[in-house]
Amino acid sequence: MTYKREKIWEDVWVNTTCGACYCGCGIRVRRVNGVPVKIEGLPESTMGGTNSGVCGKGAAGIMYYHDPNRIKKPLKRTNPEKGIGVDPKWKEISWEEALDEISTRMKKIMEDDPNKILFTNQTMRASDGPHNHPYFYAKAFGIEDNGCFIIGGGSLHCGNAAHMLGGLIHGAWSVAPDWRYTKYVIKWGSSKGTGSGHSAMTNARLRADAVRRGIKEVVFDPMCNFAGGKATDWIPILPGTDSAVALAMCNHILNSMGVYDELYIKAKTNFPYLIREDGTFVRDPETENPLVYDLKNKKIKNFDDESIADEDFALDGEYEYNGEKVWPCFTRLGPNLKQYTAEWAEKISTVPAETIIRIAEEWVENAQIGSTITIEGKTFPYRPVATVTFRGSQGHYNGVHQVAAIDLLNQLVGSEDVPGGTMGWPAIRRKYPGGQYERLPRVGPDGVLIPAVFYSHDPWPPHEPKVPCKNAGCVDLWSHSTLSHVPYVKEREEIWEKLGMTARPEMVFGLAVNFIISQADWQAAVDLCKDCFVVQMDIWVNETDQAVGDIILPDVSWLEKDCWSSEIDAFFFSGSPSYEDWYVHMQKPVAEPIGESRFFMDVYLDVAHRVGVLDKYNELLNNYYGIEDEDLKIKPGEKLDWKEIGERIMRWVYGPDKEKVEEQGYATWHKPIEDVYWRWYMPSRCPVYMEFLIHDRRKIEKICQDTGLELDLSQHYPLASWYTPTSYQELNDEYDLLAFSYRDVLHTNNTTFQNPYIDEASARCPYTFTITINTDLAKKKGFKDGDVIWVENRYAAREKGIVKTMQGQNHLVVGIAGQGGLWADKRPIAKGKGSNFCKILPSYLRHYDPLTGNIETSVAVKVYKAE
Amino acid sequence: MPRWGMVVDVKRCIACWSCAISCKEEHFLPPKVFWNRVLISERGKYPASRKVIYPVLCNHCSEASCVEACPTGATYQREDGIVLVDYDKCVGCRACLVACPYQQRTYYDQEKKDAEYFPGQGKTQFELLGEEIYPFQVGTVMKCNFCVERIDEGLEKGLAPGQDRDATPACVISCPVGARVFGDLDDPGSEVSQLIKVHSAKQLRPEFDTDPAVYYID
Amino acid sequence: MTAATHNNSSGFWRRLTRKKQLPEYEWMIKPTQQEEWIEGPGVYLWLAFFFSEIGAGIYFVSLFSNFRAGFIIGWLMTLVLGGLIHMRYLGNPGRVLRIFAKPGTSELARGMWVILIFAVLGFFQILPALFSGLPWTGFNFMYKIIMGIICLLLIMHGFATMNVVRALPSWSSTMILPLSIISGIWVGSQFVEFFMGLAGANLAVFEMWSRVFFFVYLCFFLLYIWGTYHQSDTAHFSMQELVKGDYAQLFYVGVVVIGLAVPLLLTLIMWGQTNTFLIFVRLVFVFVGDLLLRYTLMKSAYYTPLI
Repeated sequence: MTYKREKIWEDVWVNTTCGACYCGCGIRVRRVNGVPVKIEGLPESTMGGTNSGVCGKGAAGIMYYHDPNRIKKPLKRTNPEKGIGVDPKWKEISWEEALDEISTRMKKIMEDDPNKILFTNQTMRASDGPHNHPYFYAKAFGIEDNGCFIIGGGSLHCGNAAHMLGGLIHGAWSVAPDWRYTKYVIKWGSSKGTGSGHSAMTNARLRADAVRRGIKEVVFDPMCNFAGGKATDWIPILPGTDSAVALAMCNHILNSMGVYDELYIKAKTNFPYLIREDGTFVRDPETENPLVYDLKNKKIKNFDDESIADEDFALDGEYEYNGEKVWPCFTRLGPNLKQYTAEWAEKISTVPAETIIRIAEEWVENAQIGSTITIEGKTFPYRPVATVTFRGSQGHYNGVHQVAAIDLLNQLVGSEDVPGGTMGWPAIRRKYPGGQYERLPRVGPDGVLIPAVFYSHDPWPPHEPKVPCKNAGCVDLWSHSTLSHVPYVKEREEIWEKLGMTARPEMVFGLAVNFIISQADWQAAVDLCKDCFVVQMDIWVNETDQAVGDIILPDVSWLEKDCWSSEIDAFFFSGSPSYEDWYVHMQKPVAEPIGESRFFMDVYLDVAHRVGVLDKYNELLNNYYGIEDEDLKIKPGEKLDWKEIGERIMRWVYGPDKEKVEEQGYATWHKPIEDVYWRWYMPSRCPVYMEFLIHDRRKIEKICQDTGLELDLSQHYPLASWYTPTSYQELNDEYDLLAFSYRDVLHTNNTTFQNPYIDEASARCPYTFTITINTDLAKKKGFKDGDVIWVENRYAAREKGIVKTMQGQNHLVVGIAGQGGLWADKRPIAKGKGSNFCKILPSYLRHYDPLTGNIETSVAVKVYKAE
Repeated sequence: MPRWGMVVDVKRCIACWSCAISCKEEHFLPPKVFWNRVLISERGKYPASRKVIYPVLCNHCSEASCVEACPTGATYQREDGIVLVDYDKCVGCRACLVACPYQQRTYYDQEKKDAEYFPGQGKTQFELLGEEIYPFQVGTVMKCNFCVERIDEGLEKGLAPGQDRDATPACVISCPVGARVFGDLDDPGSEVSQLIKVHSAKQLRPEFDTDPAVYYID
Repeated sequence: MTAATHNNSSGFWRRLTRKKQLPEYEWMIKPTQQEEWIEGPGVYLWLAFFFSEIGAGIYFVSLFSNFRAGFIIGWLMTLVLGGLIHMRYLGNPGRVLRIFAKPGTSELARGMWVILIFAVLGFFQILPALFSGLPWTGFNFMYKIIMGIICLLLIMHGFATMNVVRALPSWSSTMILPLSIISGIWVGSQFVEFFMGLAGANLAVFEMWSRVFFFVYLCFFLLYIWGTYHQSDTAHFSMQELVKGDYAQLFYVGVVVIGLAVPLLLTLIMWGQTNTFLIFVRLVFVFVGDLLLRYTLMKSAYYTPLI
């Protein structure tokens, strides 16, 4: 019953950053006699859970170090045949041989077109150090616009629509409620605060305190599990129909209740901008600024004319400009919403009309429009209501309109980035005291915010759709795509041909990605890569490696990683979105690297050197961090490893405190309250009226005419509206259910399946390794708990799983928690556990959001017993 | 003398299993052995159904069935309420295990000793270290000990269990949502006592008449 | 025995010791089966309880019929067969003496003391049966009464240990102790009757007693099932598992047919005239039936869900 203290010769704790998912919580790891044995949270840090809290995934982290299945030397495929079920016949090779082959191949491809190399990574810090680096690493090779980034194992599924609007509205990657001051939260297909999403444990901690305060949490979700299960009010809904409900709520608020935050709408949105009949803005010929009508002076002026008081922007009326009739675009909102009645929404979503009305009224009541709050002597509008969405509701054919409709609720009551409202992750990153690195958003054209950092392909100013497309992601055409899914489209060859895309992928350079099982139709991904030279850096051989990998390089896990940069750039989706001090964590090695494994950033540098782009990459680094001090700049011809680069950049970022930061493993400094609730401090406006879509539509229409490409352009419409998702359209008597997936708190992507601690816990959770189905529906179908069933889509792709019935699930859906159903031989714990959802997602162009290239993440299926 | 106890606020709990996994690391528990678990189920009918989550552990009951069942005195209760198993005295009859209405005990046999976290691939450094510095005895019964080592060593250092990290059970400090609070049930001013009072915290299955030291706010 | 070797044993053994597979996520969420005293190596406890109690039953009945061989057989069965299997079950049999050092701790420890007293007093009671001419007799009336009481305590020992487990309502059922006593006496009596038959004794009176024991056994059995069925949700669940669930087959064939119906038939056949062969056949059925009754009672014990 006691520790044999006499046998312990070392017992230390090392501060570092968790790598079990992309959240990057501050942790400390206990090392006893040279062995990592325990992980706790860092109580000092706001980046993570309560005090020393850390989630189960994070706590289980030590097993990534101890896993005997880790790759210890570079592996090379000797079997030229590729595909699922084919033995790659790995052979161990030396690093020299591996890097030589990789760089030789790369050089050759680059002579032709660097866009033929697909750089890809998984949004997971098991292998990811600095988040942004893989993106601009690609730039050093001559790749622009992020279009070669195919969504890798980060899938299930990255949120193009949520990111697009997060960027446009908040200058951030995503949104969260202001848990500290809110009273009423509505979540749509999002588990923020209940275990998933960015800064998951930071949000969970803040939410837990809010719950103790007695907030109300309404969750629209197909199932009563992670988010719904913790809600005060779970409302079952069908996947992809959130916008129908949100629009009906907006309709009730605006048209029936006649309520909106007038001052906010006038001052902080583009709703006062004048439009002409065709819906486009009327612009000042000189400044190109949109125009507004000043009620006081009764004049048409530039929107940013400082002579107009906030309350004097006209929201209604008809005016004349240069002989043309013009109206504030707000006048279009009410009539557009009128069609969306609660009864109509009920038919689509299964949410009862009276519930829709009740929630809308509760929303308005709790919003306290007009109220203010004074915090630390500063007065802000007080809107203690927040509505947030994420992967669940945005991952549909109508993704942008889903997010826009939900956001409209915030806009109507003015609850954006004010106390109690809906927050973006920090849009502003001030300097560390004494340091230099700073990132501030700017106000761009039309008064819209340009985020301080974004993963390439910034959401603003909008990129003009054009051809020829220069990369596989075709982001030249899908100009609102942050991370393109287009390479997985079944018709990609035809699309590439029509759009003049000649950079057919010849090589994949991946960071722990597992796109074959984590995207959609497995075969579509295999076909994409089977003729490519596929190089991966990972700690294991995963399914993608086994099917199509050529060379697998052993990476270190985060427990062995010495990375100074991990959190520096991630502020716009990491860290605390609340009014809490900044914490930026480093990754400090707890143990020696396993075998010959090497930190991927050092491999990156080595490859860049061999390929001859190291100087360019170093220059990009200098520019990215804005290094002005000549002594700290990396000079042409210098070959530094990542740690040596860190010596320079950390001095730049943290100034004289560099050593202190290194020693404690994190940096912390005060976040001013105005940087948190920045909305009324920043002269920017939310582009709620998405006028740019009208211009996009015109351009794409022309491209389609010229190229013969067929694309549904109906969603290129400026106001949030209802569009039926493909999955919903494909429902019929035979394929009568909608399959959907969700993130389980125990799992991030698929790597967590190989962790024996998480595996044990998963087996003890009713829904994690099973396929869930409503109890009454199961009875009707003749299923009972434990039955093995097939879930099959209309394109004959099917997945098997074990039935778990639950009351808390909509009658028309089938739920699968993510990325199980794994088969890689070298991940024996993961093998055969759970079911794979992605496999049954069809991958035809019609299943992709025409605005962002996001895949539809729900699918019409039939279910039947396996024989 | 305090009576150590715990309050679990299930409203805060998100079923992340940190308590269970941290506990396994703290005590080098073998595969499939849990001193902490999370029970997940649901109540009610659609659409009014609710998910139910209860993290469970040894309740360190005042009227402990296990203590009453143990024929050798190996299972005993300290004055501070913590129920422990003295492995050196345990005869391995499992009467305690059968008697515990909360089923919080595990019989550690050769099979559990031999089990590997990566089956068939040998024991990891972690498992080997555990056997060396925190050994169990084959043929005896094990269970949650309220991290008595942390409490005792913490008290020796002048720390306060429930307040100071190093003197507080691992499951409590590792909870990312602060759902667990530890402290002295006999001190009316302690946080646990206050929480029990203010939130009318309840023991799980009080009808078993064992007077658990673990309370739930639900 | 580890589970690995256990799984390699014969198909019959595997079937007998197979547990109902409850998914891990339903543990203590649905009624959860008692495993430790019946699954895997737990079967030793079932056998140990059975033999020590039946041994005591034989001894007890022998006290009434003055059947000397019965003392020896009962004593040996309780201590050697029951005791050895018990030791085999324990995780640390070397520490068994600790139990005797702590008589006040538990029902189990008290039971061990009863066994110890039974062993010592029984030994001295048996000696005159083996060696005539000893200066005292084991058949002193008071001695018999004391041994009778100890035998009854011993017969109850296993079930008393189970009965104190409040967590398992099918065991803490009020009818379990009367059932256990009559079971020990009934099965014990059958052994004694058979051995007496072999020795050529007149069994007319004994058979009359056997009928009484059997009738009481049957009544208590039914009362147990009926009473437990109506006791609590979990007890109800346990009985349902027994009569309708996974163990129903074993219950009806093993307990009802083998343990009750066939002995009843044989008893009726022998109503006028006893027959040693038929008594032997009945003994075999009673023995197997009671063993399976105890098995199904161990198996069908369920814990009340926690949530």
